[in-house]
Amino acid sequence: MQRTERLSPDPSRAVSTRLVAGLIGLAVCVALLALTRVPLAYAQAGDASAGRGRPFAGPTTEPVGATLPFWNRDLSTAKGGATAPGVTALERDLFTSDDFYVDRDAWLDARYFRCNSPVSIDSMWGDYTTGPKTITGDDPATGPWGHCDRGLPREALVSPYAFATAAEHYAALLAEAQAAGGPVVPSYDSLVGWQARYTRNLDIEFAAGGLSQMERARTVVIPPEYHEHPQWLIGHLTQVSTILSLLTEEYQTRFVQQLYHLAHNNTRQWSLMYCRPEGFMREWSGPGFGGLEVVALPNLVILGSGGNADRYVYVGREFTEDGAVPRLGDDVRRWLGESIGFWRDSRTLVTWTSNVRGWFTHASFEHSDQLQTIEIFTQRHGADGRYLGIEHETVFYDSDAFVQPVRDLRFLPRSAGLTEGAPKTFSYCQQTIFPIDGKGRHVSPGTVIEYEVPSLDRPWAKAFERFESRMQRPAKPDIFSFD
Amino acid sequence: MGYESSRFTERHRLALASVGVLSLASSALAHHSFAMFDRNAIRTFTGVVSNVEPGADHLQIFFALMNEQRDGVERDAQGMPIVWSLELTGAASVAKYGITTSGFPPGTVFSGAFHPARDGAHAGVIFRTRDNQSVLFKCPGRNRPAPGKHCDSVEGNTLHGNDSALPAATGGAR
Repeated sequence: MQRTERLSPDPSRAVSTRLVAGLIGLAVCVALLALTRVPLAYAQAGDASAGRGRPFAGPTTEPVGATLPFWNRDLSTAKGGATAPGVTALERDLFTSDDFYVDRDAWLDARYFRCNSPVSIDSMWGDYTTGPKTITGDDPATGPWGHCDRGLPREALVSPYAFATAAEHYAALLAEAQAAGGPVVPSYDSLVGWQARYTRNLDIEFAAGGLSQMERARTVVIPPEYHEHPQWLIGHLTQVSTILSLLTEEYQTRFVQQLYHLAHNNTRQWSLMYCRPEGFMREWSGPGFGGLEVVALPNLVILGSGGNADRYVYVGREFTEDGAVPRLGDDVRRWLGESIGFWRDSRTLVTWTSNVRGWFTHASFEHSDQLQTIEIFTQRHGADGRYLGIEHETVFYDSDAFVQPVRDLRFLPRSAGLTEGAPKTFSYCQQTIFPIDGKGRHVSPGTVIEYEVPSLDRPWAKAFERFESRMQRPAKPDIFSFD
Repeated sequence: MGYESSRFTERHRLALASVGVLSLASSALAHHSFAMFDRNAIRTFTGVVSNVEPGADHLQIFFALMNEQRDGVERDAQGMPIVWSLELTGAASVAKYGITTSGFPPGTVFSGAFHPARDGAHAGVIFRTRDNQSVLFKCPGRNRPAPGKHCDSVEGNTLHGNDSALPAATGGAR
């Protein structure tokens, strides 16, 4: 017999499609995600902390690259081989080079990438159904130019905190909580408000009913109380060169390799081509966020995702630190890592994720097995006390990939209760695209193909290297030689 | 496991605990048949790790077999190392024996025993005794065994598993 339990009143109110449709009626303007600088909610409350809530350090910015997927915009300043007005092109750039390895000295010059953003290069062959093709014909040399005078500065992307490791950061936040009489063990009732589904501002725009996808993207206005800082990890608000400045030399090489083969050979290596997992960082990518479902208990928080697997936060536990990285379980790197955390109060959850398997998210940089995150989930309420959603601050630590920690700030609006709407479904890879000669091609059932079984040791790089036989690749030590 | 101590004797708890421990080679979550391997053939080998794939269901070690002289690896006509795959049980269950991506990084010299694939493919499943015991021996650093020998004969070697010795090969020892 099912026992019905009266729950505490939930002050939240879901974002309904009627609300969004009403907003559409109020204004018609282009909805871009660049917003004015606004402190996070808890910073506004005057809560000083050594490890959370620092304001975003960037200006407002427009999208950088020529191709803007999701909004289906061609923002190029020049195409078809022409150079952007007022810009002196490099003699050799990503689109004309026959060997990007020898161009390293130019990588930190935005013009090497024709002032494009990562997602612009990722999509300029028409890769996204939500974005135009901006390469003319099939000639990579015609690669379009973006805007050389735009882009978030590096200072806006790096962590503003003084911590070199996630361990230090977590310890500092824990100490702050202890000084304030915490961490707390919230009651079940006090956590009811967290139990919900959450979305993103980007997805709100696409969820508006009654319009074509493109019209929705252009006309929806995000409510002011849903303000959000620029989502640089989506890859549309930064110059590629700025992203590269965050990375170590090895990981710069890996990212440029990806972008080169995207632009030059039209060789994208997306997950479905191999039915392989998406990896940890997919959660912060443009198309990778599949919604967030939160089940919050005093000792366990489940961060369920529609686009990726669920993460479990073990509240109150501690990592074992006798291995290469802090971990909870066996010495095996996990696709989504392992997470511990504590409740600073019933409205603030602090987590530490470690033991992540290094991987690759297209349109973004690779991360290594050293990746760790400190994430602070804070409830945001409107002036009328209504629960609006979660402010999600993430600091990424990866000593192999980053020269210093980086930070992302995003807002996840509450969209529905956990039991409302479509039920959660199990998503399994059904492969319809196979790599043939290194490129993804649609293959129908019954077709017989020659298939090279990929390694799971950076398979995308193995595919890219098929096209690098004439390049001056850095030599690797011969582990099979005993000379 | 959350059982109330008043309901179980110590013997019961130990019995439950032993069932819960997976041996090096057995898997209660097998996801494929092992009939593709010749269980009557046992080959001992020494090889050089190419990489380790820590699959949740089966950890695989990809390696190149060392030649009889132990001064190099077997190569194909183009001079490329011939890479074999060795299948073990799940990554989590062998991690406690130090069989991990960091424990066996590329270039590691190691020895073991396997049942080879019936069709001659460069693949094998790790040998296990009737008591489900198996072992790998890792040579220290880049040290190599003497010709015809294995890492268990090298001073400073480390044992990884719940057995103490390599089995006798039935043929095709490397």
